[in-house]
Amino acid sequence: MKTNFIKTVGKIALILVPAITLSMNASAHDPKMHAKKAEKADCSKMDHSKMDMKDPVAVAMMKKCMKQSKSSMEKMDHSKMKEMDHSKMKEMDHSKMKEMDHSKMKEMDHSKMKGMDHSKMEKKKNKKANSDDHQNH
Amino acid sequence: MKALKILLILLLLGGASAATVMYSGIVNVAADEPHSDIVYWLLEETREASIKKSAQHIKVPDLESPELLLMGGADYEYMCSSCHLKPGLEESDMSIGLYPQPPNLSISHETHQHGTDEELARKNFWVIKHGIKASGMPAWGKTHSDERIWAMVAFIKRLPTLTPEQYQVLTAID
Repeated sequence: MKTNFIKTVGKIALILVPAITLSMNASAHDPKMHAKKAEKADCSKMDHSKMDMKDPVAVAMMKKCMKQSKSSMEKMDHSKMKEMDHSKMKEMDHSKMKEMDHSKMKEMDHSKMKGMDHSKMEKKKNKKANSDDHQNH
Repeated sequence: MKALKILLILLLLGGASAATVMYSGIVNVAADEPHSDIVYWLLEETREASIKKSAQHIKVPDLESPELLLMGGADYEYMCSSCHLKPGLEESDMSIGLYPQPPNLSISHETHQHGTDEELARKNFWVIKHGIKASGMPAWGKTHSDERIWAMVAFIKRLPTLTPEQYQVLTAID
């Protein structure tokens, strides 16, 4: 009686074990395909020179990429940034600067200036040359 | 009186035959067993005529706005692309397994098959909104506004012209 039971269980196991193993391996596709990730726009491949800015597709792509870069800038944590090492910075090449157009500058709003501490200012020796002497204020 | 009796008998016989076919289980409903040509033609013609009639009075808005493409692109990627495919994806489990096979919207179809651009837009709007019985096409109108559905229609209009790179940018999440 007991041997018959063991034989039956053995037969069932002989059929079930390979069947289960085979069915687990029989996947029709890569399961990763089901995992839909929220992808960010890959704007690096955009060729602006070939874009027709009258085409709604091109305009939409530009809008998407601009919005994405703006939001990624806003997400930057400036507090965690290391202090900038100015000593490693190259000197500015003033020769390449365009001449400043002073005519386009706005007039200074003196009312918003904080009170200046005149005591810390160096006095110039030639008072005549300095027409804006604060002592005359 | 005799004619009425014959008609009644015929009706009973017809009903009994239909019931026998229905409950015997001889009709194969498997999706991997296609309809016969005549059944397929009957179903397709019925479907096309129904959609054309139902969609004929729908007013098509301007579909050229870039904002519509962005709105419709994200929805298309998450709601439609697994069945109706996208640039760079020629087949999927759904496109292979569904019957009737969902149309590949990433390739251009001859416009004379579907009428003018406006007729095609109307048809697409109606199908997205109401779905199609026993085809796997859901009625997205139950959960999505008309505005979002028109955005999908606008995106589908431009879809066959998109490269995989353009598609990726337009459908990405912000």
